[in-house]
Amino acid sequence: MRTDPSETQNVVAAARPGRAVEAPKVDLSGLGRVAFGLMITLLYVFLLAPILIVVFASFSPTMSNTYALSQASLHWYREFIGNSSFVSAFKFSLLLALLASFFATIIGLLTSYAIVRFLGRARTIGQSIAMLPMMVPHILISLSLLLLLTRFPLPEMSVLVIGHILICLPFTIAGIMASLEGVDPDIEAAAYTLGANRLRVLWEVTVPLVAPGVLSAAIFAFIISFGDVYIALFISGPGVTTLPVEIFSYVQWESSPVIAAITTVQIVMIILFGLFIERLVGLRSVMRI
Amino acid sequence: MSQQSSRAGGLFGAALMSPIGILYLCFLLLPIGFFLSLSFFTYSAQQMYVAEPTLDNYSRLIFDGYYRRIIYDTIRVSLVVTVITLVFGYALAYFLTRVKSTWRGIMMFLIIAPLMTGVIVRTYGWIVLLGTDGLVNAILVWIGIVERPISMLGNEKTVIVALVHIMLPYMVFPIFSSLVAQDPHLVPAASTLGAKPLRTFFEVTLPLSRSGIVMGSVIVFTMTSGSIVTVELLGGRDMTMMGQLIYQLILSTFNWPLGAAVAALLVLCQFIMISYYFRKMRRAY
Repeated sequence: MRTDPSETQNVVAAARPGRAVEAPKVDLSGLGRVAFGLMITLLYVFLLAPILIVVFASFSPTMSNTYALSQASLHWYREFIGNSSFVSAFKFSLLLALLASFFATIIGLLTSYAIVRFLGRARTIGQSIAMLPMMVPHILISLSLLLLLTRFPLPEMSVLVIGHILICLPFTIAGIMASLEGVDPDIEAAAYTLGANRLRVLWEVTVPLVAPGVLSAAIFAFIISFGDVYIALFISGPGVTTLPVEIFSYVQWESSPVIAAITTVQIVMIILFGLFIERLVGLRSVMRI
Repeated sequence: MSQQSSRAGGLFGAALMSPIGILYLCFLLLPIGFFLSLSFFTYSAQQMYVAEPTLDNYSRLIFDGYYRRIIYDTIRVSLVVTVITLVFGYALAYFLTRVKSTWRGIMMFLIIAPLMTGVIVRTYGWIVLLGTDGLVNAILVWIGIVERPISMLGNEKTVIVALVHIMLPYMVFPIFSSLVAQDPHLVPAASTLGAKPLRTFFEVTLPLSRSGIVMGSVIVFTMTSGSIVTVELLGGRDMTMMGQLIYQLILSTFNWPLGAAVAALLVLCQFIMISYYFRKMRRAY
C-alpha cells in the first residue's frame, strides 16, 4: 500500500479499514471513569430514544401514543397500506432513490478512481471539490435547481434525480475511495503489461476487486436519497412527491400514529440495509465524512 | 512509465472526471451563482424578477427589525447547536477510540443508524417523545415533577434539542478520524515526561484533533443554519429561522430576489463562521 505523508493529515483519508485503530489513551481516575461512562450511556439513550419511540408508537391501538405492548395492534399499518397518497409517495421515493443511487455510484466510481490513481499532487483539491455538495446548504442546491426548472424546459423528474445525485455523490466518492485505496496498483500495472487498455483494466480488474465497496456505496446513496427532504421539498410538484415530503406536509397539520407506522417501515428497511453494509465492508468505511 | 503513457494517463483521468465536472458546473455552481445573483435584481409580481440592479433587498433585510431578528436567531441557534454537538460529539468520538474493537462496529452502527433514517423521521420521533401524551411527559408526571402533562413542543429549546440530536453523528465522525490519525505513542510520551492525564488531553490530544473539530463544526453549522423541517414542525409560531424564511418567500410570495438575498446572507454567515473558526484554530495552537 502506498504511503503518502499528506494522507495522515487528511480527515477523510484517515481511519481506513484494515488499519489498526489505536487511540490516544488517557487513564482516568475511578470517579472520572464512572462519570464518563454515564455520559456516554445517556448520549446513546438520547440518540436512540426518538427512533425507538416511533417503533413503539406505531403499534398503538388508538390515536394517542400509548405504549402498552399487550394491546399492540397493526391498525396503523393497515391504514398506511390503505392510504393511496402515502403508498404512491413510498413507491415514488423508491424509484427516485434507485435512479439517484445508480448514477451517483457510477459517477462516484469514475471520480474516485481518477482521484486515487491520476490526480497525484492535486488529490486533496480533487477530494475537496468532490465534497462540495456537502459544504453547501441543501436548500441552496434545491432552490437553484428550482430556478433552473422555471427558466429551462427540463423535465421535473430529471432535475429531481440530478439533485439527489448531487447530495449522494460526496458519500459514494468517499466510500469508493476507501475501497480503491486498498487495491494494489501493481495488479493494475500487471494487467497493462499483459496488454489491457485502461478502460478494460478498470472494468475487469479494479471494479471486481472493489465490488463490495461499490455495492455498499450504492446502498448508502439509496439511503441518503430516500431520507432526503430538502431537495424534494422544493422540486417535486403536488401529487407526485417523495415520502419524506408527504410526511412533512401531513405532520404540519396533524399527528397520527399512521406516520409512526410509515416511518417504522422506513426505519426497518434502512436498518436492514445498514446491517448488510456492515457485513459487506463495515459501515464506517462508507460513512466517511 | 514513459512520458507518453503518463500524458495519456492524464487524459484518461480527465475523461474520468468529466461527468462530475459537467454535473457540478451545470447543476451546482452555475445555478447557485445565477440564484444568488437574483438578490441584486428588483422584485416583480408578474415576472419573478426584473433585471434592474438594486441593493434594496439587502437593505430591507438589514434595516427591517423583523428580518434582522430572524437572522440573529438563526446565527444564535446554529452556534448553540454547534457548541453542544461539539462537546457531546467529542465525548462520543473519544469513547469510540477507546472501546474494544469487537464492540466498536456496533457502537458506530448505533450512531450512524439514526443519521440514515433521515431528518423527517428523527423530527417526528421528537414530536412523539415530547408530545402531551408522550413518554417524557408520562415519566415527568409519574415521578411527580409536574402534575399534568406540559406542552414541550413549539419552543426554541425543543428545536435545539432536536437539532443537536440530528447533527450529532456529523460531528462524531470527523473528530473520530482526527483522533485515530494521531500517533498512539504521544500520550505515553507525555505521561513519561510527567504530564497528568487531564493535562495530556488538553495539551496534546485536543489540539491535535482540531482538523476534525473544524470539519465537524463547519458541517453542523452549515446544516443547522439551513434547516427548515425541524424548526417548522417543532418551533411553533414564534420561531422562524432563515431556512423557513427563504421557503416562505419563494414558495408562498414568489419573491425570488428577496429570497435569494436571504440565502446569500446565509452563505455569508457560514463563510464568516468558517473563516473565524480557521483563524481561531490556527491562533490557539
